[in-house]
Amino acid sequence: MIISHQIIVIGGGPAGLNAAKYAANAGADVGLIDSGLRLGGQYWRHTGNAEVDESMHHNFDQGSLLMDAVNANPRIEVYLESQIWSASVINNMIILRTKDQTFQTQRLIIATGAYDRSLPFPGWDIPGVMTAGAAQALLKGNGVIAGQSVVVAGTGPFLLPVAAGISSHGGNVVGVLEAAKRLSWAPKISVLIQNPSKILEGIGYIKSLRKSKVEMRFGQAVVAAHADEDGLLESVTVANIDKDFHVKSTYLLKCDVAAISWGFTPDTSLAGSLGLKQGVRNDGSVIIEVDKDQRCTHSHSEVEIYAAGESTGVGGSDLALAEGAIAGLATAHSEKSSSQLRKLRHRAQKFADVLLQVYPVAAGWKSWLTPQTLICRCEEVTYQKVREACEELNARSARDVKFMTRCGMGMCQGRICTRNVSDLFDSEDHDRILATYRPIITPITLGELAQEGLL
Amino acid sequence: MISFTFNGVELKGQSGQSVSAALLVNKERINRYARFSGAPRGLFCGIGVCFDCMLIINGQPNLRGCLTEIQPGMIVEVQNDH
Ligand SMILES: Cc1cc2nc3c(=O)[nH]c(=O)nc-3n(C[C@H](O)[C@H](O)[C@H](O)COP(=O)(O)OP(=O)(O)OC[C@H]3O[C@@H](n4cnc5c(N)ncnc54)[C@H](O)[C@@H]3O)c2cc1C
Ligand code: FES
Repeated sequence: MIISHQIIVIGGGPAGLNAAKYAANAGADVGLIDSGLRLGGQYWRHTGNAEVDESMHHNFDQGSLLMDAVNANPRIEVYLESQIWSASVINNMIILRTKDQTFQTQRLIIATGAYDRSLPFPGWDIPGVMTAGAAQALLKGNGVIAGQSVVVAGTGPFLLPVAAGISSHGGNVVGVLEAAKRLSWAPKISVLIQNPSKILEGIGYIKSLRKSKVEMRFGQAVVAAHADEDGLLESVTVANIDKDFHVKSTYLLKCDVAAISWGFTPDTSLAGSLGLKQGVRNDGSVIIEVDKDQRCTHSHSEVEIYAAGESTGVGGSDLALAEGAIAGLATAHSEKSSSQLRKLRHRAQKFADVLLQVYPVAAGWKSWLTPQTLICRCEEVTYQKVREACEELNARSARDVKFMTRCGMGMCQGRICTRNVSDLFDSEDHDRILATYRPIITPITLGELAQEGLL
Repeated sequence: MISFTFNGVELKGQSGQSVSAALLVNKERINRYARFSGAPRGLFCGIGVCFDCMLIINGQPNLRGCLTEIQPGMIVEVQNDH
């Protein structure tokens, strides 16, 4: 049986939740699909145990109100544990498939969010090295502290809630290493101050870290990880780095978890399958391009496709909420004015742009690599192989590198390494690999394909 | 509390937890061994993106531990792709 809705929203984070709410309130019949066990996306990831969730979150009230409103709305049908693994337009209809269901609609909102940006370094595949988002998801979604002694590292304001969350729940954070210099944000204070709630949130985390006596170090990064005899993380090499990310000096730090985040990468995989126009942002991230109504550009007639939240560019939950609301109204063809929402979006966008400038990732990270460092974790492609493709095999684009080395052709479908392969292939035109048509976005089993009658 | 087994050993987890999270609580960090090098891998992205947490669950391989909720009596095994 094919499930039809007037509007389908993919992604139940802040953007998708708000899109569904606004579209349903404007009278539309909405299907909201998410791969997770619960609604909330990354920001409002929760365990389902109210007491635990209250203690884990900043601002959970807003999230639970929104999730309750969506769940209670008779015009919204929610589908959980439903990862969309294929998306296409057939006979003027958008067809979406999960492993056991098929959906169709003529109006789609993509709100698939983002995931941590990871930089490769020697030892980043050792169990115990993880993204800061993974540590956060363990805490917020499972009530679990990632390890016994945790280093939180990388760059950006996200390091603060991760470290504060772990330490205020009894975990031992042995250091927070921020690659940017101390007070790097000071020159931009006039923009930042226009978002007082975010500033106060940050101050709250810093106070909490001080209370737990967690040290914050600036201008430092994890540049190598080391395993014990069982192959598990036992220490990391921390470097003092200059503004280009070149190593000045190093020291060793013992830990069993290194939770590292270099910002976020938008999840544009559905854009490739649906032939949506993509763009490249200043920081080199590939995004789904949208107009002022959050509408995507594509060549399909009869169907309408919108995108909202971090798949259109990373900017945090406030921006995702505003974009979701605007997309919801536009998709439902509502007459309601969205001028107030546009103002909110503008302010949140400016804030997000400034954060990207204040917490840049400089190209010197490439100097941390050794020939044996993995670039593609799935296909186990080393830096040496990537260099050979560039220098000896005369790869002419990042895409050539991918086909010559199999970088990005494994199970994760290039989500982790594609951005780094683009960065390693230094071309003058800053060529980026965009998401392309993949009949299957997420690997599924042969059994599931057979069930679908596709084998 | 929920009982499940990992490589034949009985372990306990909380209901609502993912398989990878329940394993970490029990100090089990290795979910699979990589195909070519045989090197151990564990939870990396935590949200279903990287596929480094793949395990064999109730006999079915390639399931992501971070996206699968732990169930009573679940049989979880490390996945050796090497
Ligand atoms: C791991 C992680 C943890 C984070 N934690 C915080 C935090 O604690 N505080 C903070 O301020 N910011 C956090 N962020 C930043 C976060 O991205 C934004 O704050 C905010 O959640 C973005 O909202 P969104 O709606 O755009 O996307 P998200 O919240 O990412 O929601 C996207 C949703 O789409 C679903 N999805 C994606 N692809 C598919 C598919 N093919 N089929 C079905 N469903 C799909 C995902 O499961 C997810 O639920 C985190 C980011 C990550 C990656
Ligand atoms: S840890 Fe990345 S998919 Fe599970």
